[in-house]
Amino acid sequence: MTAAAAWETVIGLETHVQLRTRSKMFCGCSSAFGARPNTNVCPVCLGLPGALPTVNGQAIRLAVRAALALGCRVHRRSIFARKNYFYPDLPKGYQISQYEEPLATDGGLTFASPDRGAVRATIVRLHVEEDAGKSLHDRVPGATAVDLNRSGVPLAEIVTGPDFRSPPEARAYLLALKEVLQYAGISDCDLEKGSLRVDANVSVRRAGDPVLGTKTEVKNINSFAFVEKALGVERERQIAVLESGGTIEQQTMLFDVKANAVRPQRTKEESKDYRYFPEPDLPPLVVPDAWLEEERAAIPELPAAKRERLVTRYGLPAQDAGVLTQGSGVADYFEAVVAAGADPKPAANWVMGEALADANQNDGVLRVPPTALAALIALVKGGAVSTQAAKRVFAVMAERGGDPQAVAESLGLVQVADTGALARWVDDVLAALPAEVARYKGGEVKLLAFFVGQVMKSSKGKADPKLVPELLKQRLES
Amino acid sequence: MSVSRDEVLKIARLAELHVDAAALPALVEQMSRILDYVAQIATVAGSETAPPFVPGPAAAPLRGDEVRPSPLAFGPADMAPAFRDGFFLVPRLSAFDE
Amino acid sequence: MSLAATLDRLAKAEPLHALLTPVADVRASLAAQSERAPQHGALAGLPVVVKDNICTLEYTTTCGSKILEGYRSPFEATAIAQLKAAGALIAGKTNCDEFAMGSSTEHSAYGRTHHPLDPARVPGGSSGGSAALVAAGVVPAALGSETGGSVRQPAAFCGVVGIKPSYGRVSRYGLVAFGSSLDQIGVFGSTVAQAGQVLSVISGTDPLDSTCEDRPSVSLPDSPHELKGTVIGVPGEYFPADLDAGVRRACQRAMERLKQLGATLREISLPHTQYAIPTYYIVAPAEASSNLARYDGVRYGPRLDGALDVRALYRSTRGQGFGPEVRRRVLVGTYVLSSGYYDAYYGRAQRMRGLIAQDFRRVFEQGVDLIFTPATPTPAFRAGDRMDDPVAMYLADIFTVTANLAGLPAMTLPIGRVQGLPVGGQLIAPAFAEERMLAAALALESIVPAVEEA
Repeated sequence: MTAAAAWETVIGLETHVQLRTRSKMFCGCSSAFGARPNTNVCPVCLGLPGALPTVNGQAIRLAVRAALALGCRVHRRSIFARKNYFYPDLPKGYQISQYEEPLATDGGLTFASPDRGAVRATIVRLHVEEDAGKSLHDRVPGATAVDLNRSGVPLAEIVTGPDFRSPPEARAYLLALKEVLQYAGISDCDLEKGSLRVDANVSVRRAGDPVLGTKTEVKNINSFAFVEKALGVERERQIAVLESGGTIEQQTMLFDVKANAVRPQRTKEESKDYRYFPEPDLPPLVVPDAWLEEERAAIPELPAAKRERLVTRYGLPAQDAGVLTQGSGVADYFEAVVAAGADPKPAANWVMGEALADANQNDGVLRVPPTALAALIALVKGGAVSTQAAKRVFAVMAERGGDPQAVAESLGLVQVADTGALARWVDDVLAALPAEVARYKGGEVKLLAFFVGQVMKSSKGKADPKLVPELLKQRLES
Repeated sequence: MSVSRDEVLKIARLAELHVDAAALPALVEQMSRILDYVAQIATVAGSETAPPFVPGPAAAPLRGDEVRPSPLAFGPADMAPAFRDGFFLVPRLSAFDE
Repeated sequence: MSLAATLDRLAKAEPLHALLTPVADVRASLAAQSERAPQHGALAGLPVVVKDNICTLEYTTTCGSKILEGYRSPFEATAIAQLKAAGALIAGKTNCDEFAMGSSTEHSAYGRTHHPLDPARVPGGSSGGSAALVAAGVVPAALGSETGGSVRQPAAFCGVVGIKPSYGRVSRYGLVAFGSSLDQIGVFGSTVAQAGQVLSVISGTDPLDSTCEDRPSVSLPDSPHELKGTVIGVPGEYFPADLDAGVRRACQRAMERLKQLGATLREISLPHTQYAIPTYYIVAPAEASSNLARYDGVRYGPRLDGALDVRALYRSTRGQGFGPEVRRRVLVGTYVLSSGYYDAYYGRAQRMRGLIAQDFRRVFEQGVDLIFTPATPTPAFRAGDRMDDPVAMYLADIFTVTANLAGLPAMTLPIGRVQGLPVGGQLIAPAFAEERMLAAALALESIVPAVEEA
């Protein structure tokens, strides 16, 4: 630990996210996950002789939306480029990507660093590209099996500056990025399905050294849990090399989950020479002006901003704001309940409690309309229904709908404030419990709560609990 | 001679082309002649600053996001030299090979 | 036109080695095609042969290469679908230089095609098989492809009409890519009208090719009786001192006829012409090196067995599947794109294209309607003459390659003969002015002595 403290870690991340489209980036094949191998394929994504790419406009819209959500400058005109390399799951022998003139540059994402508070990661660039297919090394003995269903699936690559100082910080950024991309409907960010993948550039330097150390690229990080592990392992490896007087070699490391270790990727010396050049099969990518406005409008209030607003505008505790912004429609529902007249804190409690519990049982659907919930909260506030009774009313409304007043009445749950009726319940209870009345009169005044409970019980909850103690006192002390 | 034997071999590896040792000297000589010949454009006034010309439309058409694959008269199984259980097969690669 | 007669002519033309499809296969396919073909299309019943780098469902598509030996495309080119929809019948696939890389059809893995008038000579290339079959009167029209002159140069050598449309005029979907920013499908015809009619069928927009312009198809103009008011530029750079004397005479005769038609001839200069070939031999190989990366023996095509690992599989499949000229160009292209060389070669060449395109733009802006030049510096040369000297072979395209670099439409038509060998005259037009070019060609064709010694 003491040795590690003398070193500073510098991490930059390249994240590939699958854009949420129906069809592939450059052809009309389905981009759906899970089809039988090599069935979502056509001349274009198989790389057949004579086939040509065409651009999926929706992929461009989503990438523009991502760029705007990340505060990037969207370039009205950008250029597709070929990245040339050989691999069995790369059918054309090149990947259509963007290189010198990407779709967007110069953005940033503020996230909560576990070490340093709010930190803004710079987004150096965001570009669109196509995915390669999938190589399965353990499927067929002695062979690598290639499935090209993923070939041509649309991706956005989001590149940060060397802005992270620890593996947990890198993970916190990724979670913030995932939240934004999911919230804005840009990507499912489902690691299981490969719709979010991370490569990291890692270097270490002596604390205070202004010069960056030699970096390595860590690939194969395919879960959030592994981000910290893989980066931590690589950091320790680099520190150990440097402390034993060695030098860091610029190379690509692959994380081996089972061994919890990183191993250098076997490469041929020329392999990094991708021979990028402008894709001659595609004219420049020109983003229609209207799309910029439409995609800006399509970005909902992002989670961080929404949390802050819930705290400042409604006076909610930060924890409540966090819960309410976890699912995409929940905060909107809360705000609708408040807009219908409910006080914010009780509204938050109801939404976080009964409403979310019910939604979780019912495919995430918030079944009670916000106006009905607000009316129910008003009934509780006005004393017409107890909180306990209101929960039963809520459950019934969730199942069958209806107006809370009518539901409460039909269930016989409206509290009775009529002194005549109350007096009868009180008198009946006291008459039935002479011994306890005597003890109270002998000075055991804490029995009042017991009498209140008995009255509520015999009234089946209908007695207004705020009026009962006063009436009991009057009777007992007269 | 503008390219060396080693450079040609390096380029051949990059292009994944086997070059016969016997054919190499002639290939080095021919590539050198071609590269020397084409290098003359470097002497042209303005060739460093002229705007590049690329023919074609000013903007790529942007298609709608519909699942509409171009038809294949027959599938991958009927064209691949090695195909099994729905997969193209190649000699086994390690996950750690690039 | 009777199918039997076409098949008979195809069989008789076999010594040319222009057709890669066995005649028996053509016979079977034509029978099937003619049952389905529309009877009233613009090309109803017209037999058309197609260069073997254009994908057809009917026959194999080998690109003249071993690496695609026996390859059947599971889809067809847009141009083929259009031909068939117009009633044309695809009468086989024609020989070409491997992946269209060459100017003589000697670089075909399946053997060279002979010139129809002199078997010792080449028909030009790379679309030599298509040119030879039209020249031999076997079919009235054929498809070829152009990257640097591969339709016009063999058309000139064989004495037929050859058209290279503007870049983006005809869909490239299904044309096997060589140099994507230069490639266009082109047309051979026995006459200007025949070639123009086929062009009008295959031109037009295609959602499958993003580089295809959203314009209506070319319509074949009526033959004008005169060219009064038409200014035809004659660039000095295309008439160098070492131009073949016969070619020069034939061009002068054709220019006299243009004047007779009322055209005004004007001397012009296209100063960057001499750099077109070196520019082309950077751009085309660079794009080819990337376009040909897909031939790796994984998804289609023959694979050389016994490779122990993927690299060995690639290297043996590609090393043995590609012929010497393709290997050379893939290596040159890989070199000019490789780290440290991009700016000096590919980047610089694209700027040179800018200068070459600007040469043309300038003269067209100054009132020139069309440009007239020789199509080739010499008539058809002897087979074997240039096989050991790649640069000498490249110079066969010196007058054609400029139009590809600048994306312009251009065509050649026969304007006479030299010692029995055809000479072609070239017309170059502003982008998308195919109709103007065709009109002038129709007029010239009507009065030029196409088969007389110059």
